[in-house]
Amino acid sequence: MGIMDKARIYSPWLYHLHCGGCNGCDIETLAALDPRWDPERFGIQLVASPRHADILIATGCVPKQFIPMVKRVYEQVPEPKVVVAIGGCACGGSLFYNEDPDNYAILGSPDLLIPVDVYVPGCAPKPEAIINGIVQGILKLAAKKKAAAPTQKS
Amino acid sequence: MAHYSSPMTLNYPSSVDPNKKYSAIPEGLRGVPERDEEKCIGCEACARVCTGMATKIFDNESEAKRLVQIFLFRCTFCQHCVDECPTEALKMSKKFEVATGSRDDPANYVDTTLDLLRCANCGHTFYPKKYVDKANELLLQKINPLVKDVVVADFKKVQDYCPSCRRAFAYKYDTHTKKHVWLEGP
Repeated sequence: MGIMDKARIYSPWLYHLHCGGCNGCDIETLAALDPRWDPERFGIQLVASPRHADILIATGCVPKQFIPMVKRVYEQVPEPKVVVAIGGCACGGSLFYNEDPDNYAILGSPDLLIPVDVYVPGCAPKPEAIINGIVQGILKLAAKKKAAAPTQKS
Repeated sequence: MAHYSSPMTLNYPSSVDPNKKYSAIPEGLRGVPERDEEKCIGCEACARVCTGMATKIFDNESEAKRLVQIFLFRCTFCQHCVDECPTEALKMSKKFEVATGSRDDPANYVDTTLDLLRCANCGHTFYPKKYVDKANELLLQKINPLVKDVVVADFKKVQDYCPSCRRAFAYKYDTHTKKHVWLEGP
């Protein structure tokens, strides 16, 4: 493991992707990143571009118009990457879930489009639960780095 | 005094302790719903009031088992099922750290399995055994003493049959539901 990989694990940067929904989980996510809980002591920090990020935070259910944007943002995050789905809508569809998916506007949870590594259920989850989910995401990121280590030489 | 006050950042992993002043577990926190397997009678009340289709009932016809399941990914922790439960089997716990790595993790599900009764005539499953026992108990609590013997005797005749077979045999066994009204008289 090179120094860049170690640095990525010890300070994972987040990109917040709001797929759709009621904004409750977005407010809780931003509350979890403020000085009250201060996750910057773990190196967790919000960035403005998916190209700078290690962890993608997805909230809300995906409307059908937003499908290409979700795929594009996911592809822009550099490898190795981890996706953390926050909230009931992003985990299983929650209130927008339908047995026979014939909804004209809403597709469902983002894990139908992109691979999700950590799920944080709740409506909306507590800031502590979100930090717990992100920390689990960091552990998955470290495992992915280890798996990719033999091919990388830095 | 502001210089000497305690820091406002909550140290999250250690603030889970409920005895601390700024605890991560406040009073009345709605966490993961927990079900008491002894008390649950499988009456479907929780599945009917569930807002996000999180609670579902799965009946296994061949093994005569009913699975009552809460899928936490769709649960909104709204406490409707806890308020509606007739036997107070459900309650909201204080557990909130429920992040998991996959959809199939057993930690995402709150499961209870119950035995279903099998109809003596047609062989299909109908109500859970605990549900029938509870209904019997509630029936005998508030029953009119004039008709108690008739109702109990009728119930013994039909308790092995499913509702559709009961309807079919109502004439044969003389167990019409309005019979006790006729017995009482005008």
